[in-house]
Amino acid sequence: MAGRALIVAIAVAAFFIAPHALAEFHLFQICLVAGTALVVLGLIVVTGFAGQISLAQAAFVALGGYGSAILAARWGIPLWAGVPIVSIGAFVVGFVLGQMTLRVSGHYLALVTLAVTAIVQIALIYSDNVTGGAAGMPVPAFEIFGLTLSTGGQLYYVIVPATAMLFLAVHHLNHSHYGRALAAIRQSETAAELMGLNVLRYKAAAFGASGFLGAFGGGLLAPLSTYLDPAQFGITQSVYFLAVAVVGGMMSPLGALVGSIVFVLLPDFLQAFQTYLGLVFALLLLGFIVLRPEGLAGLRLPKGIVAALPRLGGERR
Amino acid sequence: MTERLLHVDSVTVRFGGLVALDNVSVDIARGTIHAVIGPNGAGKSTLLNVVTGLYRASEGDVTFEEESLSGRAPHLITRQGIARTFQNTELFGEMTALDNVVVALDSRYACNGISAALHDGRWRASEAEARGEARELLALVGLSEDQDSAAAALPFGKQRRLEIARALATQPKLLLLDEPAAGLRAAEIEALNRVLLDLRTNHGLTILVIDHVMALVMAISDRISVLNFGRKIAEGVPEEVRASPEVIEAYLGKKAAHAFSA
Repeated sequence: MAGRALIVAIAVAAFFIAPHALAEFHLFQICLVAGTALVVLGLIVVTGFAGQISLAQAAFVALGGYGSAILAARWGIPLWAGVPIVSIGAFVVGFVLGQMTLRVSGHYLALVTLAVTAIVQIALIYSDNVTGGAAGMPVPAFEIFGLTLSTGGQLYYVIVPATAMLFLAVHHLNHSHYGRALAAIRQSETAAELMGLNVLRYKAAAFGASGFLGAFGGGLLAPLSTYLDPAQFGITQSVYFLAVAVVGGMMSPLGALVGSIVFVLLPDFLQAFQTYLGLVFALLLLGFIVLRPEGLAGLRLPKGIVAALPRLGGERR
Repeated sequence: MTERLLHVDSVTVRFGGLVALDNVSVDIARGTIHAVIGPNGAGKSTLLNVVTGLYRASEGDVTFEEESLSGRAPHLITRQGIARTFQNTELFGEMTALDNVVVALDSRYACNGISAALHDGRWRASEAEARGEARELLALVGLSEDQDSAAAALPFGKQRRLEIARALATQPKLLLLDEPAAGLRAAEIEALNRVLLDLRTNHGLTILVIDHVMALVMAISDRISVLNFGRKIAEGVPEEVRASPEVIEAYLGKKAAHAFSA
């Protein structure tokens, strides 16, 4: 318990010191990591915990970004309220999509969710009077308590705490009956059903959670990038999120964070190879699938460090 | 006449042209151990799958406490009070023995999502209560020592008993056991017999057991039904079934049946 309090204290101190110690560009990158991690966390819930493959994550991110931007531009609903509202809407969309798992699984589920991403992207392009069509639309500024947050250094105070809180909530839910039920369903759907679990509802809820987290991440990333372009939300982007999850590790929330750090920071270290970045990511993905299917978060840390990190990795099952 | 708990009413199950169950009727009386025996492929497991809702009967009906179960989803049938174990054990292998049982308790103890997301006091109380009951159930089947082992790491005999503990966690009135003695040693079968008799006598449970291990079936059953090629060919108390020429024929062949009757 004392160790845990110490970690929280260090994290809070680091959170307030970072803006003074780091350059604007690095704070922007921290925001980018946090937003991406939130999106990938949704994927980890549905694909890692519940075992249901999803390639719809880019669609949820688009829903969060466009949805909250349109609410702000058309109805004047500020982003701080719009992002949670749209995320709850995305939960409902995900829950409905999850009903599909009654009929399809495995490869077919991958195809269905892929189709959702394609449909959302096409819808964005062809609804030009609301979304700006193929040209895209600007994102209104993030305004809260009369302050206007536009740079990475300013949005940092919103994105990082929101991400931290949602990570904690997912960690807690994973260590409650929700996580147990998803683990049971993943290991034997028949047995889970015969233990009285409403399997379809749990799977649908996992899809709902992936929608919520994807949209929340998308809603936070939108003001950071200041402009939405439908080309950002295609099938490639869904595969990118899946790659981040695989490299980070599918079975723990930590995987979303680790994977996002790697995929956001790697391009800076590989500036000389900019042209071959796609190839680097592809090789990374392939390497992890073949050699380390449990991802970076599944790497064994030395015992001393593990003891000092109580309940952070959260690998109970 | 004791009250009947489960009533299988002229059930037929067809898979394409294959008839797995042919007009089978069985009544299970409350508070008894009822065995269904028969050679491989006789339709025993199909019968369990129909009762638990995994298969749908092509014809006929199953009623539980005089309520029809047909068309009901498996998890709802479980909540009605029917639990089962599996022939090849279907445990949640990566989870601990304790968590395997807690999963089955969750539909009773689980608190709301917000409490679970916050890990607040209410969540902690419900979690502690569920764990406490899970420990009691593990003790009942003699697995107290193994609560933190991964289910897949347990020896086969213990996996069987863990499945029974997990099934009991759903608070069943009727417990269905699919070949619980297959692959067990004689001593393990005796331990299992003791657990089953204890459940019937001291916990008022009704048990339907499917098996062909005679040491188990003959020792504990109050009543036995015999299936062969999807049909019920005999039913009665163990002595009657043992003496039935049809049963001997089904198990040992025609010649043996003649030899016995001669």
